[in-house]
Amino acid sequence: MRVLTFGWEFPPAKNGGLGVACYGLTRELLQAGVEVIFVLPKTQETRGDARFLFADQERLVKIRHTDIMLRPYQQASSMIDVIVGYDKQGNPIIKSRSIIEEAHRFAHQASLIAQEEEFDVIHAHDWTSYLAGVAAKLASGKPLVLHVHATSFDQAASDNVDPAIFKIERECFALADTVVTVSEYTKSIVVNKHAVPAEKVQVIHNGCDTNEPPRLPQTLTELKQQGKKIVLYHGRISIQKGVDNFVRAARRVVDVDPNVIFVISGWGDMTNQIIEQVGALRLSEHVRFAGPLWEIERDRMYQSADLVVMPSVSEPFGLVPLEALQHGTPAIISKQSGVAEVLSHVLKVDFWDTDEMANQILSSLRYPVIRQQMVKEGKWQLQSLSWRCAADKVRRLYQNLVQYVTP
Amino acid sequence: MLTVCPYFHVHQPYRVKRYRVFDIGNDTEYFNDNSETDLNNRKIVEKVADKSYRPTNRILKELLDRHPEFRFNLSFSGTALDQFEAYAPDVLESFQELVATGRVEILADTYHHSLAFFYSVPEFERQVKQHEKRIKQLFEVKPRVFRNTELSYRNDLAKWCEDNGYLGIMAEGWDKYLGWRSPNYLYRPAGCSKIKVLLKNYKLSDDIAFRFGNKAWESWPLHADTYAKWIHAHHGDGQTINLFMDYESFGEHQWEDTGIFNFLRAFPEMVMRHPDTSFKTATETVESYEPTGEYDVPEVLTWADTDRDLTAWTGNDIQRDAIAATYRLEEDVLKTKKKDLIETWRKLQTSDHFYYMCTKWSHDGDVHAYFSPYQSPYDAYIAFMNALSDLQLRVKHVVAEQEAKLLAKQAPEKQFCETCAQRKEEPQTVAVVETTPEQNSVPVPVKSSDSFIPLQKWWHRVTSSVRSLLTLLRRK
Repeated sequence: MRVLTFGWEFPPAKNGGLGVACYGLTRELLQAGVEVIFVLPKTQETRGDARFLFADQERLVKIRHTDIMLRPYQQASSMIDVIVGYDKQGNPIIKSRSIIEEAHRFAHQASLIAQEEEFDVIHAHDWTSYLAGVAAKLASGKPLVLHVHATSFDQAASDNVDPAIFKIERECFALADTVVTVSEYTKSIVVNKHAVPAEKVQVIHNGCDTNEPPRLPQTLTELKQQGKKIVLYHGRISIQKGVDNFVRAARRVVDVDPNVIFVISGWGDMTNQIIEQVGALRLSEHVRFAGPLWEIERDRMYQSADLVVMPSVSEPFGLVPLEALQHGTPAIISKQSGVAEVLSHVLKVDFWDTDEMANQILSSLRYPVIRQQMVKEGKWQLQSLSWRCAADKVRRLYQNLVQYVTP
Repeated sequence: MLTVCPYFHVHQPYRVKRYRVFDIGNDTEYFNDNSETDLNNRKIVEKVADKSYRPTNRILKELLDRHPEFRFNLSFSGTALDQFEAYAPDVLESFQELVATGRVEILADTYHHSLAFFYSVPEFERQVKQHEKRIKQLFEVKPRVFRNTELSYRNDLAKWCEDNGYLGIMAEGWDKYLGWRSPNYLYRPAGCSKIKVLLKNYKLSDDIAFRFGNKAWESWPLHADTYAKWIHAHHGDGQTINLFMDYESFGEHQWEDTGIFNFLRAFPEMVMRHPDTSFKTATETVESYEPTGEYDVPEVLTWADTDRDLTAWTGNDIQRDAIAATYRLEEDVLKTKKKDLIETWRKLQTSDHFYYMCTKWSHDGDVHAYFSPYQSPYDAYIAFMNALSDLQLRVKHVVAEQEAKLLAKQAPEKQFCETCAQRKEEPQTVAVVETTPEQNSVPVPVKSSDSFIPLQKWWHRVTSSVRSLLTLLRRK
C-alpha cells in the first residue's frame, strides 16, 4: 500500500497542531507498513528536519518538495512575498501572490507528481492541499481522501467565512471519495454547512504521544516562589481561539483571588486587541504575555502551570489539553471543541460562559485534589488516544477505498 | 413452604445546585435549584411521583385489597419523606395508606441515606434515631429490621444492630461470602448470637430491577408467570426468596412502556398459584425461620456494581476528599447546636453526592451505568465542595461567635486573674532561671500570694526577696 500525501509541514515547523497531526499519523502509518510519499510545499524550516525525522525510514518515506509558499492559518486573499528568481546582479526578484494563487500552483505541481509516482491512494491534509489532492486524483484516477483539520467556519469563528476558501472546500469535498474529520463536531459542520452526505464523512480523532515526557526545570520561578497560581493559555491569539473570553474570566477570577497569574503564550492577529483588553480591564499585573513558545520552552511552561485553559470558540480537535495532561497539568476546555468528545478527565465549559469558566478556574485552584485526579486518570485515558489508534483507522479506510479499484 | 419477602427502597436526595465559588459566603441555599435541569429537586420529585410513586402505590394498594396474603416491605430515606411532604403530600398519604393495612413493614435506615456508619458511629446512631422518630410520627410504627444505605453491610454493623435490639438486618447475598450456599435461607452474622441476616437473591431481584426492559436480554419480554416459575423452582431448596430493589424500579428505572406495571399487577397472584408459596414481611420471615449457618463479612459489602463494595462512592480521590472533608466538620457543626446548620450538614452526607463524583465508568466505558444530574463527576465535586466550603464558613462563624460570647461572660474575673497571674509568674520565672541547688532552702515567693496582702505590698516583697537572692549569689 502506497499513499501520496499532500501536507503542510512537519514539526518543528512553528505553526500549530496541523504539523503535529501530520507527523503523528505518518509515523504510525509507516510503522503499520504503509508507504508514504509526502509532498510538502517548500518551506525552509521543514525540509531538513523532515528528512531528519524520517532518516531511519528513508526507504519507505519519500519527501518531495515543491516551491509553493503556502502557510497555514491565512486568509485566501493574504498576500505573501515570494522570491521567484534572481536578476543579473544576483538580487532576488520578489513578487506578491495571494494564497489562493499558491494553492492553485501547488495543485499544478501535484498533477505532475501524480503522473511520475506510483501509489494507491491520495490523502490531502487541509484546505491548501485540497486542490492538490483533487488535481492528483484527476491525473491518476486514484481514490482521494481529504482530511479536514479545520474549516473556514472554525477560522472565522462565525458564519462570516472567507468565500474563496469555502468555495474550495465545498468543491473539493464533492470530488473526494471520503472526507475525514478530526471530530464529530467538525463532521457536523462539514455535513451541515458544506452539504457533504454524512455517510461520506468519517471521524478519525487525533491522537497524542503516549510516552512520558521528561521533567524539565520550572519556569516562572519568581512567581511560584511568591505563591502565585499560574493559569496558562497556549495557542494562537486569534478570534477562533477565544482568548478574549479567557481574559474576561481572568477579571472575574482576580476579583476573588488576586493570587492568580494568567500567562498567554502565543501570537496572532488579535494580539494587540488582547493587550488592549488586558489594559482596559486593569489586569496588567495579572496577565503575562510570554510570546510564542515552542518545544522545550513550551513544555517547561506546561509543566510549570497549575492549570491550562483552552477557551476556543470553535476547535475542530484541540491538542492543547492532551499535551498539558502529558506534562501533568490539568485542563479546562471549551465544549465547542472536538477533543471534548474523547477526553473525560477535564473540566468543560461553554466558551461564552466566562462566569462558569472563572468558577472552574477558582474551584480547581482551591481544591488541589481535583487537579491531581484529573491528571492521574487523564494520563490513563491518554493511553487509549494514541496516534497508533488513529493511524489504524486511516489504514482501514485506505484498504476500503482500494478494494473497489481494479488494478 | 416457600415465602417471598419483597422489599422496595424509596429514596430521593437533596441534589446540590450548581453552587459556584462566587456564592460562598453569599448564598446559604444549596439545594434550591429552579432550572429545568435534573438538579431541580422539586421538579424531580414531581416527575418521579407521576412516573413511579403514584401509579405504583395505586397498584400496590389494589394488590393488598385483592390478596389478603400479599405482604411487602418498604424503607424510606428521611430526605425522600421530607421532599414528599413539601412537594407531593398526596404521595406521602398514599404510602401511609399502604402501611395502615398492617401488611407493609417499614425498615430501619439512616435518615439521610448516609454512609455514616463507616465514618462516625455516633453520627450514624443519631441519624438512625432521627429516622425512627420520623417513621413513628408519620406511620406510627417502630422498625425492627435494619437495612443500611446502599445495602452496605459489615460484621460490626450487624453487631451494632443486635446490640440495639433489631431482630434482623438485610444484606447482599454475595457469592464471595456465601460460597456454595444459597441466599434463600437465613444466616447468623459472624460475631452475633441473636440477630438474623436476610440475604438478597440478586439474580431474581436484578431480573426486575435491571434487566426487565432490556430487549437484548434472552428472557425479554419477561412475564409474571415465567418469573413465578423461577421462584417456584426454589421449592425444597430454600425458605425465603428475598427480592430487594429500588422502589423507583417501577416506572422510573423501568418505564411504563416496558410493561413493568402489568408485571407487578400479575405478580402476587402468579406467585401464590403454587399451593405452598406466600409472602412474608421481614419481621415475619425472621421470626419464622432459623439461621442455617454463619455469614461472615469482614469487609464492606453493598449492592452496587459487580464489585459489591463502596468504590462507587469512595473509589477515587475526589470522592474520598469530599467525604473526609464532610465528616471533619462533625465536631464543629455539632458544637454550634444550630439546627439548620446540622441539618444542612447531614443533607450533604447523603451518599448520592459522592456517587455523582464516580469515575469508574471511564475505565469500562459504561457511561450509562452511572446516572448523574451533573455534566461530569468533576462538576459534581466542584458544586459539592463549594457548598461545603460555605457551610464550613458558617460553622466557623457561629463557633467563633459563641466563643466570643463565652469569653465576654467570663471576662471580668478572668481579667483580674490574668493580671495577678502575670505578676505572680514573672518573679517566679526569674527565680527558676536563677535556681541553683543552694536556693532550695530559700523561701519561694509563692507563699506570699496571700489575698489579704495588697498587691503593691506583695510586689515589693517579691522583688526584695529576688534582690536578696541575687546579692546572695553574687557574694558567693
